[in-house]
Amino acid sequence: MQWLRKASAIIAATSAATLLAACGGGSSSAGGGTLTVFLGAQPNFPTQFAAWSKDLTDKFKAKTGADLVIETYANAGDETTKIQSSIVSGTGPDIYNLGTTFTPVAYGTGGFQQLSDDDWKKIGGRERFIPESLGISGPDQTKQIGIPAAMRPFSLAYNTDMFKAAGIAAPPKTWDEFTADAKKLSNPGAGVYGTTMDYSDPYDPWKFIWAMTEQQGGSFVSADLKTAQLNSPEVQNATTAYFDMLVKDKLADPASVGWKGGDAIVAFGAGKAAMLPMATAQSVPTLDKSAVKGKYAFAPLPTVAPGQSQRPANGKPAASIVSGDNIAIASYTKDKDLALAFIDLFTSTDEQLANYKAFGNLPVNQDAMKQLSAQNTLLAPFLQIESQSTPTAFTGGWADVQNGVQNVVVQSQPGLAEGTYDVTTVKGLLDKANAAAQSALTRAQK
Amino acid sequence: MTGGLTADVAGARADTPPPAPPSTEARRSRGGVAGGRPLWLMWPNIVLLVVVILIPFLIAIYISFIDLDQYTLRRFFKAPFIGLANYVEAFGAANLLHSIWVSLAFSALTTAVGIPLGVLGAMALNTRFRGRSLVRSAFLIPYVLPSFVTATLWRFILQPSGAANEILGVVGIDKAQWLIGDRSFWSLVIVDVWASWPFIYMMVLAGLQNISSEMYEAADMDGVGWWQKFRYVVLPQIRGQLLLGLLLSTLAHFNNFTLPYVLLGTPAPDAALTLPVNVYQTSFQVFRFGLGGAMAVISLILMIIPAVFYLRASKLTAQAEE
Repeated sequence: MQWLRKASAIIAATSAATLLAACGGGSSSAGGGTLTVFLGAQPNFPTQFAAWSKDLTDKFKAKTGADLVIETYANAGDETTKIQSSIVSGTGPDIYNLGTTFTPVAYGTGGFQQLSDDDWKKIGGRERFIPESLGISGPDQTKQIGIPAAMRPFSLAYNTDMFKAAGIAAPPKTWDEFTADAKKLSNPGAGVYGTTMDYSDPYDPWKFIWAMTEQQGGSFVSADLKTAQLNSPEVQNATTAYFDMLVKDKLADPASVGWKGGDAIVAFGAGKAAMLPMATAQSVPTLDKSAVKGKYAFAPLPTVAPGQSQRPANGKPAASIVSGDNIAIASYTKDKDLALAFIDLFTSTDEQLANYKAFGNLPVNQDAMKQLSAQNTLLAPFLQIESQSTPTAFTGGWADVQNGVQNVVVQSQPGLAEGTYDVTTVKGLLDKANAAAQSALTRAQK
Repeated sequence: MTGGLTADVAGARADTPPPAPPSTEARRSRGGVAGGRPLWLMWPNIVLLVVVILIPFLIAIYISFIDLDQYTLRRFFKAPFIGLANYVEAFGAANLLHSIWVSLAFSALTTAVGIPLGVLGAMALNTRFRGRSLVRSAFLIPYVLPSFVTATLWRFILQPSGAANEILGVVGIDKAQWLIGDRSFWSLVIVDVWASWPFIYMMVLAGLQNISSEMYEAADMDGVGWWQKFRYVVLPQIRGQLLLGLLLSTLAHFNNFTLPYVLLGTPAPDAALTLPVNVYQTSFQVFRFGLGGAMAVISLILMIIPAVFYLRASKLTAQAEE
């Protein structure tokens, strides 16, 4: 089939060349005094994005004399499509914004530059960043591709007035305390529940199961990244505990089976729930326009697994995944120094604070985050939360792992809506997810 | 009538000797100016078809035979050739058969419901009445809305606190979760019917407007009822449009990606895991491009079968040739 491969190669190359020519070479390359960066669009902050972009572009020009072109993507699908086409064609933006859980996949493509110690020095050194934010930059310190750009650790938002009225002095530190508090705070007759849940959110559910698994000392993936453990007792316990919050303990509105994260924020903002797990600092603008303005605070999510009063020796706090954005330099860039100059600017104290001011992204720059925490006590807990964050497994097969667990929740939703779930069915779904995850991990080891 | 005509033509063909092969001059004229028609004007279209359809199709076939994933993406042309392994995995571990079944059921149901609605709508608006233009325009709204907008709109309607549950609550029906589990499939069918029935309506309306009033008058003079008029006057006259609408509609439903993707998200509930969404999840969420390519090729083959069947059944190709 050598002829087929050659023929296809010629066809693909011709096609790519034709298409690139048709596109007019819109994406720039470095080297001509222009740097192109690919960042997430901010549809909720269009005015701020325009102002922030202009400011950043002007500062970059003043710093380097080069032009900065900012391209944006609307969603994760756009982002991955662009990355894939750029990797195949060897042309495209010089710098990409990568979600933290996508960073291992991006690393697997080999399409991004690994940073040397000298490179790190050019962007202020690793010490510039909050240490935990570097937890998912690469498989180890010598092979890092991701430079932290923003952090979005997950927290527990709670209604301080409702807590006070219920005589609860402090937010829960264990999941059992969380359940007890939520029961105390619930008044279903009045349409008020102890907590929100968002079983239909595309991103949140697996994080609950992951955190409760890590806190028990388990893990979705073995430490050597070779074995999937989605059907381990720890994951099964975590999954059923997550379902029990609704099914057994009835802590949340039954409608939350169909809720996404946005629905949960709305319910919390309307005072219909006392706690909002998996909240980020980006919910502040919304909550400050709601009925709970001035009546809420953030705290770490519980760090002790359900049914336990303290973590076992091998348990991890896993208050949050290492969440946020990394930025990475494309391997084909022709001016790495220009790219590093941009990153130096982008992760500087002033720019990190500007980024927070514009979009609510918390700084990864230690100095900036300390300043912000001192100025804004509401956000101070996020520094503690980040210190209790645990990175997800750095494997190119992570997408299968995450999607597998998410799929277990999706396929269990009809039962949850009826107020039940079947343990055997859940185990079967986890077995199926584990098989797919194992296949992905095996491929990653090749 | 059509059958008789076809039989006559067939008989004539049987009685006459086979035509002589075209002369060299005639053959030459096909590539240049045949019968005064400048066929070379087709070349831009042909080039575009090759670039936009044929080459990507050939690449998709090639990808389906190689082990292309995020690890080999950068070395696209050196990715290991693995023969039919992607196809075997597609039928085994990738839920392909399940997705084919879901897509077939989805496309059959939406077509089956959409066609009578379209025919009824067209017939209702084929008679003159005050405000007909307004109603005609209003009927087209679901069809002209981008699929993304339709799906987003219905997602709001069908969410737990959405308008659907509120309206059902007024008539005493309990609230339900429309976007999860088995109900998600029926929600998908309902939304797609809502969005697509105007296409059949437009096709049929075009056919109805070609029926001369004399035919209706003749039927009236014969004293036929409404059903006979529909069965023996209207239906034969709109047969071509209806069959073409049936074909295009079935293919469009089968291929619909945006609606289930936006309405239900991913991972999709098993009951609504259509083939296009499955291909997307495989290719762009877990980055198995080779496996996704194999599934896409199988999808294309499945598309060709009804296309050929319908084209032959409706003799659209024969009519086009004539």
